[in-house]
Amino acid sequence: MASELTRQAVPTAPDEVPVLAPGQTFKSVTDTISGIVLTLKTPLFWFANFGIGFLLLQLFLLGVTMLLFKGTGVWGINQPVGWGFAIINFVWWIGIGHAGTLISAILFLFRQQWRMSINRAAEAMTLFAVICALQFPLFHTGRPWLAAYWLLPYPNTMGMWPQFRSPLIWDVFAVSTYGTISAVFWFTGLIPDLATMRDKAQGRLAKTIYGVLAMGWRGSAAHWRRYETAYMLLAGLSTPLVLSVHTVVSFDFAVSLIPGWHATLFPPYFVAGAIYSGFAMVLTLLIPIRAVYNLKGLITERHLDAMAKVMLATGWIVFYGYMMEAFVAWYSASYYEGFVIWNRMTGPYWWALWALVFCNGVMPQTLWFKKVRTSPVPLFIVSIIVNVGMWLERYVIVVTSLHRDYLPSSWGMYAGTVWDWAIYLGTIGLFLTLFYLFLRVLPMISIFEMRELVHKKSPGKHVEMME
Amino acid sequence: MDVQTKSKGLHGVMAEFRGPEELLDAARKAYGAGYRTVEAYSPIPIHGLAEAIGQADRKVQTAVLLAGMAGLGAGLSLCYYTSMIELSWVPAMFSGYAHNIGGRPLNSWPAFIIPTFETTILFAGITALVSMLVFNGLPLPYHPVFNVARFREHASTDAFFLCIEATDPKFDAAETRRFLTGLGATEVSDVEA
Amino acid sequence: MTEPTVARGFEVPASVDRIRRQAAMVGVIGLVALIGGAFVNRPQFFQSYLVAFIFWSGVSLGCLALLMVHHLSGGAWGLVIRRILEAAAKTLPLVALLFVPLIFGLEHVYEWAQPELVAKDPILLHKAPFLNTPFWVARTLIYFLLWSGMAFLLTKWSSQQDQGGAAGLDRRFARLSGPGLVIYGLTVSLAAIDWMMSVDPHWFSTIYGFVMVGGQGLSALAFIIIVLFTLTKSEPMSSVVQSKHLHDLGKLLFAFVMLYAYFTFSQFLIIWSANLPEEIPWYIRRLSNGWQFVMFALVLLHFALPFAMLLSADIKQNLRLLMPIALLLFVMRTVDVMFQVSPQFHEGIYIGWIDVAALVGVGGVWVAAFCHYLRGRPILPVNDPYLKEALANHGSH
Repeated sequence: MASELTRQAVPTAPDEVPVLAPGQTFKSVTDTISGIVLTLKTPLFWFANFGIGFLLLQLFLLGVTMLLFKGTGVWGINQPVGWGFAIINFVWWIGIGHAGTLISAILFLFRQQWRMSINRAAEAMTLFAVICALQFPLFHTGRPWLAAYWLLPYPNTMGMWPQFRSPLIWDVFAVSTYGTISAVFWFTGLIPDLATMRDKAQGRLAKTIYGVLAMGWRGSAAHWRRYETAYMLLAGLSTPLVLSVHTVVSFDFAVSLIPGWHATLFPPYFVAGAIYSGFAMVLTLLIPIRAVYNLKGLITERHLDAMAKVMLATGWIVFYGYMMEAFVAWYSASYYEGFVIWNRMTGPYWWALWALVFCNGVMPQTLWFKKVRTSPVPLFIVSIIVNVGMWLERYVIVVTSLHRDYLPSSWGMYAGTVWDWAIYLGTIGLFLTLFYLFLRVLPMISIFEMRELVHKKSPGKHVEMME
Repeated sequence: MDVQTKSKGLHGVMAEFRGPEELLDAARKAYGAGYRTVEAYSPIPIHGLAEAIGQADRKVQTAVLLAGMAGLGAGLSLCYYTSMIELSWVPAMFSGYAHNIGGRPLNSWPAFIIPTFETTILFAGITALVSMLVFNGLPLPYHPVFNVARFREHASTDAFFLCIEATDPKFDAAETRRFLTGLGATEVSDVEA
Repeated sequence: MTEPTVARGFEVPASVDRIRRQAAMVGVIGLVALIGGAFVNRPQFFQSYLVAFIFWSGVSLGCLALLMVHHLSGGAWGLVIRRILEAAAKTLPLVALLFVPLIFGLEHVYEWAQPELVAKDPILLHKAPFLNTPFWVARTLIYFLLWSGMAFLLTKWSSQQDQGGAAGLDRRFARLSGPGLVIYGLTVSLAAIDWMMSVDPHWFSTIYGFVMVGGQGLSALAFIIIVLFTLTKSEPMSSVVQSKHLHDLGKLLFAFVMLYAYFTFSQFLIIWSANLPEEIPWYIRRLSNGWQFVMFALVLLHFALPFAMLLSADIKQNLRLLMPIALLLFVMRTVDVMFQVSPQFHEGIYIGWIDVAALVGVGGVWVAAFCHYLRGRPILPVNDPYLKEALANHGSH
């Protein structure tokens, strides 16, 4: 049936950089990608990054130990700012995860070939970002081992059920579903490649481990047929799922009555912000890796250009959100809404707002220029700035809305403590550790999809004849 | 590292082809010649290959649809039951409870839509992977095709195979070998069971 | 790069001309009825006219936005429908003209246009610097200047391309479309506030711009599929349009059905949960006195039914099955616009003959203009460098 996976060629402008450098064959793409794991001498770059990540991971463990030992009082949260770094970091990490799903699912459904060489790494990034995000609400409960009964619906001796009218419970459902389905999607994509790794690996242990994970995949016609169906269905399911996740995260704020949080625009604007920061993170990770592992033939300037364009578009939606919020705060004639916006611009946290406008609104305008979009170094800098900007955005939303309560007698200030920073930087360590382990043991680019791409770009000329 | 297996008989005859088009063509011809227990192996999905040897089905779609509906029902009933329905005749821990929460109605259906949506996706997504594996007969610890050295080394990289299995009613070792050679195979080999 | 054989045989079918005449006739009849309505019930005339204006301008604007998206993203789906998009975008100056009658009856539609009400109401006084007749009219004028300007440039360059004009035109399309979409998003959001949201000047919702954009995209896609159905009854489109094009259009339609439901449900859930006195009246009005049945109909026919049908990949690729869904959505779009606007004027459910006359009258004129613009040029962008690839059949069936 034509309904199945007819990933047709999308036209490439004649003078544009292709998604695949010429001269690639089935064997060359398979060997290049599997070789990174199986034969290449691990570069110093890997050790350096893994080392940094691993060190920061220790900081995370230290911070968590301290937190569990002394309680959430070691954090900077107080009255009235009861939500601090924990929620900021949670939203930041979840947002970063969104690009992975977008690249794997939405671009797949719209047959964008440029997704193929970046989707695997981006999906891994999603999974690890969700793991990092989960740490925050988990430890914000104070005693996570006692939190189960009000988070999960199971009959318990207190006769309690989760509160399904609360966005926080929606969040539990959304994020746990998102983590699970991301893992399922990622693993599904890996199965044929695990078979390749099984067949390519030389060592007995590696062969066994890849063999067990590949579960006996042999690439028969029926295998592929059901595989493609499952993959497409997962893509179809992931697309609304990924939109729902940051939507539900935005409901954590918007469903409340707090001025500056209660805005109907929050769902789409949070989703756009998530994709924005996610693509920034993909670029931050892949630009150096592409250089170090010499993958410029597989991750070409075309990929950088396309990702930069997505950032420009989503960046505009985010910026639109800021403007619309400010305008409607005035238009609504609500005194409190107006005050929040004014306080954000001129109050004690003015620096955070204007830094965020610079990072998220001004800097990305450089992406209108193709030169910036296709040059690794400037693009890398912009993507780092956007990462910072998106963190600041959540900082502004969380802190400025809370620190000025309706009653001036309840006003306060907020700042993260050293333990807040330790746990935040610690999750960056957790993320880097997981990501670099992934690079070391699994193919970072989908091998079979690259073979398909080779086949599509030059049918009939891709198989090297037998030795 | 050849796997040494005692010859327990023949699993089938396997032929290697140059590329996806040749494999698809050979698969069509084998099926056309009346062979029914045929397997085609390739390192990339080939459009129409499963159809060519009569192996296309819609089992995964059906399973995912059913699972999605089950997830929808499960999520919705969970929300309704725990937030609205108090039963005196079940032990307290199993009964839902009908409390006024923030003045919202007991039947807060707009709020229930979201957990329901998530469970729908959760059930359907897990089923997509699991049903794909189950219908494909995976995980499978041993399969005879891996006894062929070329298959072991190249099937997941750049080689295309067609295997006619011995259980096929039309199978005859010598005749099938000849038939496959006639299809333009670059190499034909026996597969030990 | 195109040999003359390609260009030949791409004429617009004669049916378009027939439809143009019929539409013009229907339009005139509708307008006559509508003008009659103006004498019977003057406020209702303006209220109905606003609904019709918002709906039909939405089709033009949705097509303009899709045209720009296509110029940025490429893809075979867009080349096949590019002429439809361009013809619809070209109607924008006419739509601007259609706006003019509204100016003479603002006080029947907008509370903020009635000075005696504004004087008594501190909230309206607060908004008066923004919501006042001269500024409001000036803003709409600016929107139409920008929209018509973009439509004019894109269609002009497209004609140049047809005549084998300057190379690098496709770059120029993209260069306008990027900033063009930014301008579109900002102006349509403001128009959403001006035209629709300020019908209830006390109510506000920051997502409303997205709601308008999503609605326009959905109206435009439904319209395109209906037009495609008509065009594929005869050559050349009957052999040009393939299932892969329809599959993409079907996916887009599906995506917009979901997006629109997503925007409106998000708005509803947030306002419903907070239950604040400055927001919830908008929904209370629309969930009582019979209007709730319109809401149920929208949930069912604007979302649930099309959603369930469009899940199927086979339906998405079969124009004969896709077209009834598109038609249903197109009709439901008018109902939705009415649902957004009319409850402000009628406590109880009301859909009157003047509403129908306005939708049909404005629609007839609009469709006639659309057919007129479609007629003048080849039905496909014959000189587009990607056309060959778009029409190639990649052996998928």
